[in-house]
Amino acid sequence: MTKKSTKTITYIFITIAALISVFPLIWMIIAATNRSVDVIAGKLTFGTKLLENFQNLLQAQPVGRFFWNSCKYSVITTVLALAVCSLAGYAFEIFHDKAKDILFTIILTAMMIPFVALMVPLFQMFSKAKLLNSTVGFILPSISTPFLIMMFRQSARSFPKEIIEAARIDGLNELQIFTRMFIPTMKSTYAAATTITFMNAWNNYLWPKVIMSDNNAQTMPMMISNITSGYVTDYGMLMLAVFITTIPTAIVFFALQKSFAEGITGAVK
Amino acid sequence: MKQKILSVLLSAVVVAAMLAGCTSKTEKAATEPASESSETTEEAAAESGEVSETTESGDGTLTVWAWDKSFNIYAMEEAEKIYQKEHPDFSLNIVEVSWDDMQTTLGTILSSGDYSQLPDILLMQDFAFRKYASTYTDFFTDLTDSGIAFDEFAEGKLGMSMVDGKNYGVPFDNGAEVAVYRTDILEQAGYTIDDLTDIDWDRFIEIGKDVLDKTGYSLVSSQAGSSDIIMQMLQSAGGSIWNGDGTPGYVENETLKKCMEVYKELFDTGVMETGNNWDEYIATFTSGKTAGVINGCWILASIESAEEQSGLWAVTNMPSLPGVEGATNYSNQGGSSWGITTNCSDVELAEDFFASTFAGSVELYDTILPGAGALATWIPAADSDVYSEPQEFYGGEAVFELITDFASKVPEFDMGVYYTEANTALATAVTNVCAGGDIDSELQTAEDTVNFDMGN
Amino acid sequence: MAGNNSKKMSLNKKQNLIGWFFLAPGVIFIACLSFYPAIKALITSFKTGVGVNMTWTGLSNYIRIFEDKIFIQSIRNCFFYLIIQVPIMLILALILASILNNPRLKFRGIYRTAIFLPCATSLVAYAIIFRTLFANDGYVNLVLVKLGILDSAYNFLTHPFSAKIVIIIALIWRWTGYNMVFYLAGLQNIEYSIYEAAKIDGASPFQIFRKITVPLLKPIILMTAIMSTNGTLQLFDESVNLTKGGPANASVTMSHYIFKKAFEGVTNFGYTSAMSFVIFIMVAILAIIQMKAGDKRD
Repeated sequence: MTKKSTKTITYIFITIAALISVFPLIWMIIAATNRSVDVIAGKLTFGTKLLENFQNLLQAQPVGRFFWNSCKYSVITTVLALAVCSLAGYAFEIFHDKAKDILFTIILTAMMIPFVALMVPLFQMFSKAKLLNSTVGFILPSISTPFLIMMFRQSARSFPKEIIEAARIDGLNELQIFTRMFIPTMKSTYAAATTITFMNAWNNYLWPKVIMSDNNAQTMPMMISNITSGYVTDYGMLMLAVFITTIPTAIVFFALQKSFAEGITGAVK
Repeated sequence: MKQKILSVLLSAVVVAAMLAGCTSKTEKAATEPASESSETTEEAAAESGEVSETTESGDGTLTVWAWDKSFNIYAMEEAEKIYQKEHPDFSLNIVEVSWDDMQTTLGTILSSGDYSQLPDILLMQDFAFRKYASTYTDFFTDLTDSGIAFDEFAEGKLGMSMVDGKNYGVPFDNGAEVAVYRTDILEQAGYTIDDLTDIDWDRFIEIGKDVLDKTGYSLVSSQAGSSDIIMQMLQSAGGSIWNGDGTPGYVENETLKKCMEVYKELFDTGVMETGNNWDEYIATFTSGKTAGVINGCWILASIESAEEQSGLWAVTNMPSLPGVEGATNYSNQGGSSWGITTNCSDVELAEDFFASTFAGSVELYDTILPGAGALATWIPAADSDVYSEPQEFYGGEAVFELITDFASKVPEFDMGVYYTEANTALATAVTNVCAGGDIDSELQTAEDTVNFDMGN
Repeated sequence: MAGNNSKKMSLNKKQNLIGWFFLAPGVIFIACLSFYPAIKALITSFKTGVGVNMTWTGLSNYIRIFEDKIFIQSIRNCFFYLIIQVPIMLILALILASILNNPRLKFRGIYRTAIFLPCATSLVAYAIIFRTLFANDGYVNLVLVKLGILDSAYNFLTHPFSAKIVIIIALIWRWTGYNMVFYLAGLQNIEYSIYEAAKIDGASPFQIFRKITVPLLKPIILMTAIMSTNGTLQLFDESVNLTKGGPANASVTMSHYIFKKAFEGVTNFGYTSAMSFVIFIMVAILAIIQMKAGDKRD
């Protein structure tokens, strides 16, 4: 087996994987140009109804407002979550001792309780705190997640301890070491965490639905749910809405994935 | 370069966060007084224990939850316009909440005991109305003495939103069962719509086999894993899934067993096509190989989405259950009613609004029938000329008049408080029977499941 | 000498304290917004009734679970998904990540984005697409019949076993790219020169994968394993949107069943909370085993 054939097989493999992955997206774009009846019939060729679907969508739903709401909530959540969780994850690893390891395991279990069980008590808490229908209420439960803390804790394991020692000798305090050494070095981890957190916040649905009963505060996923809830669903319009909803996460990922290309070397030395 | 991109991204984030912070503040300021006032009414309601006596009349705005932009929300908007003619200060704040989401939100709010988040008015599926009204007795406002003329609504429909003889809902749309067939396909097989009118299921299967042989089209379709058609058959024959004492009555229920047998035969002969889910079900008749639809009359809107089939469809009544005493050709599927919650900021206003619109305005129904195909359950509306207008899509048939006539003949049906559980268990039984299971033992299992769910 | 030692001690203490400060915000948030409501839910799980009028019932909700045939079926389904889907997905993700980490690969960004996209695709669209693909007259049947693998169309979603397989395929499709992202990010912390050196030494791609990539990524692999275990046992979306739990509960998941019990029928949050804690205990046990096995610092 030659090098060249290995290379060819590799390309064929990832090309197939990529095609399978994007197929639904392409289907979605095609569907957005078709009539509702054709969409559910599984038509796989472009139609001429894109403009019509777009007009129907704009007429039926305040897309602009919902899009802006989604952007707002997702961006704020992402910034805060990254700050809080990366600091915690860093501390759990770099300053680890027995107590912190045990605490970490306990924290980890927080994500294992089905959300259904927490909804009613959380609702009562937020109602008492007068946080219903507010941005704060929307964001608060997603700021600190065991998953994100764990991601930074696990990644910090490959952070070279020598850098910390050297920085301490140079007179940097611990927060400075975190902001000036850890964050730049862990750029790829931050990029991945940003994408995933943004995506989760963007698609967040159950909790916002329960606390946001105000028309003006609704988000894109809620809009999609509303489109599908009538006696008749316009699938062409639905697919267009779904496509618009998918774009931001894709853009965020594409913009940030470049940082996966740079290894640790460039940043440290 | 990369540094630059990163810094641009970062500053964008900061600006966005700041902007968001500002807007959220103004939003909060705007919503605060409203939420406070509803808080006080909620407390007042809690104190008086009974129906909330509004301490302060609201500002003339009522919040409504409903779920279909082109149907019930549209109807609500038209009602708002009509009421505004007499009451210029009145307005509605209609929030679009899908039915699935509403169940989740209501479940959370009602279980938390904090009702301040409830709207003034909400739309409720008929099959769930009694469940909510009887398990949460302080959820809906009792409307019995509200001045709304309930005797002007069809009786069977009214019963859906009544508990212990009290009215909790204002009936809205009609779910009378229709059978709609493609006349062009029937013609190919040598039949007309009259051959499918006032027939029973035995005859239906006979014709169905013939149509399938000659044209390759099935005569009806259903959604796999759903028991809706069974329930519709059961209702058409005056049957029930409940015993007189409220316990589930699946076993030794001859009518139900007959329904299952018919369903199984429809399935085995291929006269009935199944779609795996709702969109596939719709596709069977809009673009597939099915020449008939049997469902609640709201399904017409889906049929009409295949514009190129205009003129090819015709409406008639559904087949009746053979060999069952009291079997009719009429049934019901779906439909919804409006309820006023106990969190309503101005109950009198809400009651007056309903009395002068959904329970008192022919004009409203004249508007929403052609506008959204919303068939009234308010009897005086049916005298309107709009109902007798021929519909081109159905070959010039006056379908609305026809369906109104069907609606008046639908046997009453007790859905009970545990309808969702009963329906789910029945759906499981149907699925297993179609896969070769024994009807009697599957019905036994279903009964056991419902008994378990009811905690017996 | 002794002074130096005590100085070091106090430095350690100081660092330790700083560590607690750093993790405090995250931990406090989780304590208030997860553990506090969880304790309330735990209390509810010993009660029964509707709305706020609930009465104490002891362990009866938990005893009831063992008599609930559908819930037991849902436990079996979830473990079936877990055992088959998680290993396939994680190995596939690792392979894709190590291929896409090669700097000499052309169009890396496009490939990465393409493979990541499934998890960003809205659930509504992807559910409709998968259902369409696996429908009776869908493209999967079309291809299989054309190739002669099947004689006639097979209704995948209405047979108990194939419905589960469809869910597994959907899960792999949706989450492989997601997990790949963590591996890609983790691989950046490994110097690429190690690979180059191994290659010069004549190591095969498989050897490099097994001897270098996997060991160095161990902390991240552990994380994805725990996440996937948790995600699969709490699986909800696919069961609801692809199969509705059918046919006849053959593919229903625990979370789906709990959700139905909580919001669709007559609600008893006592019972749903009890079922939730059963899930919690199962996931927690598995996670602790995984932590014990995989979270050793060298």
